[in-house]
Amino acid sequence: MAIKGGKQSTAASLRKTRTFGKIRCHNPSCMERIIPEPGSEHAKCPTCGMEYRLFWVNDNLPRIRGPVWDVNREIAEKTFADKQAATIKKTGKKGGK
Amino acid sequence: MALNRKIAYINLTTGEIDIKPIPLDVRKRFLGGRGLDAYLLYNHTKEGCDPLGPDNALIISGGILTATCASATARTHVMAKSPLTGLLGSANMGGFFAPEMAWAGFHHLVITGRAKKPVYLFIHNGEIEIRDAANVWGKTTTETQWAIRKELGDEEVKACVIGPAGENLVTFANVMTGIKNAAGRTGMGAVMGSKNLKAVAARGTMDIKIAHPVEAFEYNKQFIDQITSAKVNQTQGALGTPFIWGATNSWGGLRTHNFKYNQLEYADDIEPERLDEIATETIGPYHMTGCFGCQVHCRAQYRIPSGPLAGKYDEGPEYTSQGAFGAEIGCRSAETVLTGNHLVDQFGMDNLEVGSLISWAMELYEEGIITDKQTDGLDLRFGNDEAALEMVRRIAYREGFVADALADGGIPASKKFGKNSFDYLIQVKGMSNLHSDERATPALALNVATSSRGSDHLRSRPAIDLYHLPEKVLRKIFGSPIPYDGPLNSEHTSYEGKAWMVFWQENVYMGVDCLGICKYHTTFLGATLPNFEDWPKVVYYNTGLEFTPEELWTIAERGNMVERMFNLREGLKRNDPAKGDTLNHRYFDEPCRRGAPDVIGLSIDQEKFNGMVDEFYKYKGLDKNGRPTQKTLKRLGLENEPSHLV
Repeated sequence: MAIKGGKQSTAASLRKTRTFGKIRCHNPSCMERIIPEPGSEHAKCPTCGMEYRLFWVNDNLPRIRGPVWDVNREIAEKTFADKQAATIKKTGKKGGK
Repeated sequence: MALNRKIAYINLTTGEIDIKPIPLDVRKRFLGGRGLDAYLLYNHTKEGCDPLGPDNALIISGGILTATCASATARTHVMAKSPLTGLLGSANMGGFFAPEMAWAGFHHLVITGRAKKPVYLFIHNGEIEIRDAANVWGKTTTETQWAIRKELGDEEVKACVIGPAGENLVTFANVMTGIKNAAGRTGMGAVMGSKNLKAVAARGTMDIKIAHPVEAFEYNKQFIDQITSAKVNQTQGALGTPFIWGATNSWGGLRTHNFKYNQLEYADDIEPERLDEIATETIGPYHMTGCFGCQVHCRAQYRIPSGPLAGKYDEGPEYTSQGAFGAEIGCRSAETVLTGNHLVDQFGMDNLEVGSLISWAMELYEEGIITDKQTDGLDLRFGNDEAALEMVRRIAYREGFVADALADGGIPASKKFGKNSFDYLIQVKGMSNLHSDERATPALALNVATSSRGSDHLRSRPAIDLYHLPEKVLRKIFGSPIPYDGPLNSEHTSYEGKAWMVFWQENVYMGVDCLGICKYHTTFLGATLPNFEDWPKVVYYNTGLEFTPEELWTIAERGNMVERMFNLREGLKRNDPAKGDTLNHRYFDEPCRRGAPDVIGLSIDQEKFNGMVDEFYKYKGLDKNGRPTQKTLKRLGLENEPSHLV
């Protein structure tokens, strides 16, 4: 039974998979691991080009504060227009309202 | 010991109080907390009862581990039939009340009837008094708590209370304890108000005997290490829950302007890091605090930095207030978020519902469905901070046509507003969605659609689906304690395997709610936090009860099924847009326009969504209509409900 014996639970065993000093790109199909310079305030994803503002919870724990808004907007508007155009070309209809 | 905590049946109409033990076989079937509450609600209410009538049973509880040597057992659970949805009402809060109630001798209160005049309950060392509440009726949530402490002459009294919103039967009024701890969904505060019950106060000094104290302490050290070493909890301890809002806004998973967009750009002033700066500036560097027995300390203390309420003290804000008074209504001001948070805390209202309904009203106003005449001249356009905060006050006191309509909840209000207002209402089962936008995340969309208390993240959201974990890690997590070899997919935009994730998560959340432990101490935001495999030890060392992980899973399944049975009894139907397991059409029809490149253009595929619901039903043992099969009821020992064991 689970109470006896020293076998680690799944959750406890996964602790060794934790990574520090890294962030993941927030773009869903990218999710590239990014290793920012310690203490740096910005990071750019080498794979998809998204740029992020950073916050450091502690010396080993960076987190994405948010995208660099101007870059984010430029990418968003271009992507939305491209996807709308692709949808119209494929179906003859807009991809939504 | 924990198992000798009692259950009290209190009839406010007659004044009768009946105190009984909780039979061991009932404990073994439901443990305590939410699971046992669901059983009590199903057994102590009749089909179709008026949520605001005397026959509705209001149940207040702690978990089976509350106030033991286990970590973070602060949670108080409140359940009744919801006046907002007409279905299951269920809400859960941190703070210090449930442990105090356990030290006073009780784990569950079942409150029925209606007092002739305002009263409050005082629970102390095995006894319960019904006391006059004339002096506190009309007061805010904190004023009420301080006044009760003064009246009872004891600063250690803990109370769960309602504010003006509960008294005014606002259908999404909270039950609250402390400054900001809120049992804040489905309108449990209105049920309290309908019973003329202003507060339940507790003070106890009855020790709880631990079954194996040395082992309990030793194991808790490991448990705490597992909790505090998690990155997610280190972040919570620094920034509180607002970090969740920040991360979600970053990639475009937030609903803003009701449902028009999925990201609030240039929102730097309400990002968690900015709120943390304000807390540091107004309180000091050590501004984080926590609930009973918790090491995470996810709650900030702050003073409102500017504006008409500058200097007022409060706690939080939770990420839900960033959503309610920021993104949803199109505001980017920390002052607005912190002020709005303070107002809902004082009035005792659900910030999620308030923010959602105001943002809905704003979209209706901009669409011309609500008129200036109906708002009494209030300019309800998105981004009007002052109008939004004024609406908070009006809703609490039901002032004016629009606010009074909103105070009844979205679906009744849509009937008053007319035209196609219902089409704009982002709700499930009559409860507004939280501030997240699930169009890019099918697992989360299924979660909000099928959540037992209406659209919600704390009943079945597999948030770790967002972490892009490798499939072999997902298999370890989601393949325990019940083997699962079906599909799983690391992509959170995928539909594959998500129904199992939601089913698994639903059971995790029920499990932790039966134990009385905070969800930040289980697999919610962190993949390495304790769940079914870890819980048998903490339960055994503290209570002496032995369970396998599989048995705890079955108990959780049973609790969820009783909630389902309650909802079915009260009218849940799979595809009913007002009472079903479905989503607003905008999830399917309107693609995301903002956020990360791969989020843009996404919406929920209706056919695939229906397939996920089918799959989810199959895992739960439901038929195509969402009703449990006889085989399922028998497997869970629920074929004879209501069985009236307690």
